[in-house]
Amino acid sequence: MPENTEQYQRAQRRFELNAAVRRSIIGGLDLPVDPDLVDDDQPLFGRGLELDSLDTLEIVSLMEEDFGVYITDEQRFVFGSVNKLVDFAEAAQLADNGA
Amino acid sequence: MHSVDATGPGVPARPVALITGASRGIGHASAVALAQAGYDVVGFSRSGESDSSETAELVRQAGGTYSSHKVDVSVEADVRTAFRSFLAATGRRLDAVVVSAGITSDGLAATMSADRFDSVIAVNLRGTFLVCREAVKAMRKSGGSIVLLSSTSGVSGQAGQINYSASKGGVNAMTQSLAKEVAGMGIRVNAVAPGFTDTDMFRRMDAKARHDLTRHIPLQRVAHADEVARAIRFLATPESSYITGQILPVDGGLTA
Repeated sequence: MPENTEQYQRAQRRFELNAAVRRSIIGGLDLPVDPDLVDDDQPLFGRGLELDSLDTLEIVSLMEEDFGVYITDEQRFVFGSVNKLVDFAEAAQLADNGA
Repeated sequence: MHSVDATGPGVPARPVALITGASRGIGHASAVALAQAGYDVVGFSRSGESDSSETAELVRQAGGTYSSHKVDVSVEADVRTAFRSFLAATGRRLDAVVVSAGITSDGLAATMSADRFDSVIAVNLRGTFLVCREAVKAMRKSGGSIVLLSSTSGVSGQAGQINYSASKGGVNAMTQSLAKEVAGMGIRVNAVAPGFTDTDMFRRMDAKARHDLTRHIPLQRVAHADEVARAIRFLATPESSYITGQILPVDGGLTA
């Protein structure tokens, strides 16, 4: 894919946002895991990263502080994986920008 | 645990207290009392006071800084925006929160409109929740203290105040519930329950009603706002480091 296409640039932004979210969560929760080794579709809770309910508060806070995204119970689905978090973050940012 | 190793670039050396309803009454007195205890103060008020307000001036005289934000605590977006703004300015430092914004709109239950009921619940209960929700996130790593404003009306009820009493009873339950939820993060949550206090809210009552009410107070007088503020300061600071989930009456013996 040529690097100057919009599609390429969008994919690049998504790649970078996924990496940033992984770094934020792993760093914020002080998990002994290399952020680059976390699968973007790996469950965050349950058998995935094995986070617990207290970690929810940390993720909600980190997403707000680092990415300006506000999460409440109605968006509980976003805790499914890094990709679901980033999907939600992108949609929220688009909404904020009036798109 | 109470906060306070929050040093770093842009982070104030003094502890930071957020006070809602800071422009008047108990909120105003609490701002001054906490400044005297060494805190910088962030004030939320519906009016959004100027830097030259009486609260700002007295906080500065006590050695603290004061920043004011125009916030309707019942409006979710207002609360979120104000938290984001002041936390950016304090380097995310927040040590104490006093939620004193409150209104009354009295009337008999049989004739009270649903809108009148809702208006009091919106500020006193929903507003308290919205502020607590943001405060918990801000304090989650360093701990801190949250003090809510209850009332003796929320403990024993008050005729003509079904909305206000319900809101303050809700604040009491919120205090105990939230205290248990966040204790593991080093966040303490308590409430003060003032009886009759010499504030604008009390002065709006007619003279006979004020006299009749005062007669039933064992100390035979209403409280000064700064007497309530001193109890708030005690609960807001590490002086009360092993107290959480409690509702402290400051009522001259009214509920004794």
